[in-house]
Amino acid sequence: MKEFRFRLILIIAFIALSVYMLFPTYTDYQNTKNISETINKEKTEIKVSEPNITIDELNTRLKLIEDSIKVADPSIEEAKQKRVKLGLDLQGGMRVVLEVNTGKLLEKLAKDPDQVFKDILNDAQQEASLSDESVVDIVARKFQEKGVRLSRYFGSVRDDDDDITSELKSDAEDAVTRAMEIIRNRVDQYGVAEPSIQRQGGRRIVVELPGVAHEEEAKQLLQGTALLEFRLVKEPEFTISVMQKVDEVLAGKVIDDTTKTDSSLASTNADTTVVDTTQKELSEEEFRQEHPFFATAMINPQGNNADAYVKEDERAKLLSMLNRPEVQNVMPNNVEFVFSAKPVTVQDGKEIYQLYLVNRKPELTGGVITDANANIDPNTSAPIVSMTMNSEGATEWARITGANVNKRIAIILDGVVFSAPNVNQKIVGGRSQIEGMENMEEAKLLEIVLKAGALPAPVDIIEERAVGPSLGEDSINKGVLSGVAGFFITVLFLIAYYQRSGSVASFALFFTILFTLGVMASFNATLTLPGIAGIILTITMSIDSNVLIYERIREELAVGKTVKASIDSGFSRALTAIIDSNVTTFFTGIILYQFGTGPIQGFALTLMIGIVASMFSALVITRIVLDYMVYKGAKITVG
Amino acid sequence: MRIFQNLNVDFLGKRKLFYAISGALLLFGIINVIFRGLEFGVDFKGGSEIVLQFQKQVDISEIRNNVQNIGLADAEVKTFGGETGVLIRTELQEIPREIYPVIIDKIEKTINDNFPGFEKSVIDSSSSSVTYQFSNPDTTKKLLNILNNEGFDAVGASVEPDNREIIVSVGIADWIEENLREKMADNPFEILKEDKVGPKVGSELKEDAVIAIFLSLVVILLYLAFRFKFIFALGAVVSLFHNVLITLGLFSILYNVIPGLNLEIDLTIVAAFLTLIGYSINDTVVIFDRIRENLKIHKTVPLFDIINKSVSQTMSRTVLTGGTTLLTLLVLTIFGGEVLRAFAFTLFFGIIIGTYSSIFVAGALVYEYANRSQKKIQF
Repeated sequence: MKEFRFRLILIIAFIALSVYMLFPTYTDYQNTKNISETINKEKTEIKVSEPNITIDELNTRLKLIEDSIKVADPSIEEAKQKRVKLGLDLQGGMRVVLEVNTGKLLEKLAKDPDQVFKDILNDAQQEASLSDESVVDIVARKFQEKGVRLSRYFGSVRDDDDDITSELKSDAEDAVTRAMEIIRNRVDQYGVAEPSIQRQGGRRIVVELPGVAHEEEAKQLLQGTALLEFRLVKEPEFTISVMQKVDEVLAGKVIDDTTKTDSSLASTNADTTVVDTTQKELSEEEFRQEHPFFATAMINPQGNNADAYVKEDERAKLLSMLNRPEVQNVMPNNVEFVFSAKPVTVQDGKEIYQLYLVNRKPELTGGVITDANANIDPNTSAPIVSMTMNSEGATEWARITGANVNKRIAIILDGVVFSAPNVNQKIVGGRSQIEGMENMEEAKLLEIVLKAGALPAPVDIIEERAVGPSLGEDSINKGVLSGVAGFFITVLFLIAYYQRSGSVASFALFFTILFTLGVMASFNATLTLPGIAGIILTITMSIDSNVLIYERIREELAVGKTVKASIDSGFSRALTAIIDSNVTTFFTGIILYQFGTGPIQGFALTLMIGIVASMFSALVITRIVLDYMVYKGAKITVG
Repeated sequence: MRIFQNLNVDFLGKRKLFYAISGALLLFGIINVIFRGLEFGVDFKGGSEIVLQFQKQVDISEIRNNVQNIGLADAEVKTFGGETGVLIRTELQEIPREIYPVIIDKIEKTINDNFPGFEKSVIDSSSSSVTYQFSNPDTTKKLLNILNNEGFDAVGASVEPDNREIIVSVGIADWIEENLREKMADNPFEILKEDKVGPKVGSELKEDAVIAIFLSLVVILLYLAFRFKFIFALGAVVSLFHNVLITLGLFSILYNVIPGLNLEIDLTIVAAFLTLIGYSINDTVVIFDRIRENLKIHKTVPLFDIINKSVSQTMSRTVLTGGTTLLTLLVLTIFGGEVLRAFAFTLFFGIIIGTYSSIFVAGALVYEYANRSQKKIQF
């Protein structure tokens, strides 16, 4: 028995691990089913009670219900995170490849572009669409051919062409980074689950948006110009009073929906900060009841500002609270709450976002910025970002900063706050310096954001693929059906042909599939439709190892060896063929993975994992079962 | 149960016959590729492809007429899946110049019909969308609903409540969808799939595909040369190449012949070809492994007999594995759904050819070389 122990432990460990890894997938499947049942029930109910409801409104209502179910039970989200991911072709969604339009960018960068410039640019763009040479190089060459110096349009007069060319190239690179950051920012806010935004080569961006089937929504996320605003952050006293009002309304204490003025707000004593309420020895549950707002948006009582902190998983909840009509009624209509773009800290494994109360009306928009640069302050060696504005912006900026010394101005890109620096003094001349970034990355990000408002990064969609959710569902069903059919055909064949050892192989085959899926779950790999085909193929290809072994065992038995000896030499003699043939197939899998995108990579991945899993099943699981049968003296038939 | 027990066939003796068969298949395939050509999908050609699922059965020629009537004469229209699915494909990247004003007129007419005299201005227009600005946010919101109900793809420029801008898409797919919605009002549809590939991307993908196939052949050549002898590697790779070419020829022959089977070459088909390479090499390697083993054991037996013996010995395994794989692929071809059908079909035929070449061609090529060069192959 001892000789089996190690292998047995190994096998059991693998099985346990696979089951453990696949469990969230099962849970998520159940959850999704339950949620969609609930939603459908609600849908019919709402349709009956309010027949005139518009589709948009209905969807918003259903979305709220769905969100509340999810918020109520965090394990739903957890299972979703850990499950085997489905590719865009199975769950529906979009894949878009964007390319920064260098031509448009050059036109924007050029100082007074004239007809000569435009002609050359057009020419260059035509050529670029057919060649791999960079647009900047082509433009530079064309200028040279025409005998025009680049410095006529770019840089300063003394710069030579090479300097300008390399400068322009780095500008083009920057544009890609900027476009990525803008897109990431919007996609994050839009709430796409598990988006993927990747850079491909020099000037391409690949964006994958699972679950977004409506092309227009996606295009808006990807192509619209970015809006950069400077908005005043409200003073702490005012913010606290607004928050308290909201809190009271949410707790159901205030029912007067007529007062929309500041008078009622002013009456609430600003001194009664949240600290008092928390100290009343309320249990957490009671506190949630009494102060729904402050339970979600927490305030640092010691802080010198009134920014609230919200956990990532409670953002949706807070937003839906703020969107309620009764809350909207008590909110002064010239202000709004906005989130920070990035989490400010992490607590208990959850990212915490900052919530600001800012003016609705921007003081200034990003168009006035001419340049921004992240640097290290030589005196303090802390990262800083310097920002330059044009003369028009500088005048305004001087007025704004002058009037708001010691207040904060939020830098908002597409609706979220990237930084909210304090105004230390009146800034004249249009050159400002922003301090307080924790590290250089943060400073770099701010530089990108500031530039995004000034210099758009024009992108073109060069490839776009969208799969509707129903096709994906249909594909899954058909894929699974074929898989099950393939499995049974194979099993029937194995048992009919190899009899008892055939059942052993079938048993091992089952684990091949389990392991393949388990490994996919633990690698966080994505299952695509060709991936399902890959698993189906694995089923048949994996019996190849078993066939090789059994055919060998038969040959050995035929020359008169004992069962035990036949099994031993059958396995060892089949080994080289199994390894050589699987290694070559594995190689094509690697190449396929390199070559392909999305769905095909999914196929390559399942193929490769399947190969390894099937070798393990055939060489270890089948072996141990057969050995054990020999050990127990059971009759082994190889057909 | 046993098949091919104690099989002993003189495969090599009949190799001239198999050369002739292979030669004929190759020639027939190549002639077809040259004269009928290969049909490339939107992945490689560039263009737009949309797949629509109607609620009721549709008449494909009616849709074809509709699509042609809106100025897209060279669009391809065919069924997809059952009788309610339609695939429309065009190589055009954007709306043809002459149709553009027609679309704009249509949008503006809708606006004017609903809100006569409503002030509007075009603030941006590109080959794929037009952006309008209006004078007040409320009407903008109402108009947005109306435009969407009329079948236009319209969105507000921002989600702010005071938004006064609407972006209306005029891409080629939108144009087709918008028109079909109107003309086939009694039979609504949903969009199953939509692909748009730029021309440059298409040609790059084509290049990548060719590189991937050649690269995999080279990698296999190197690995087998390392594990066996160079001549074995060469024999295997030549027969793989032969499999790929014959299957490619089949694509050309069967294109548009079998209804419901779209045999265009796209990314998935390339994946099928690579899988085919991976699978057929499996077969060949198993036979070569046996030859290698037999050469080690029977040092005095001539290569001719060794190869015959090895192919015979592995015959049952070759047929069994091939047979089950073919069965599964058949299931996948029939039940796997439209998206996987061509993929499974390619593999199905490819594997038949692959199994054939492993048995009859690969070993023969090795023998041919050894015979001509009078070299003795030893491991």
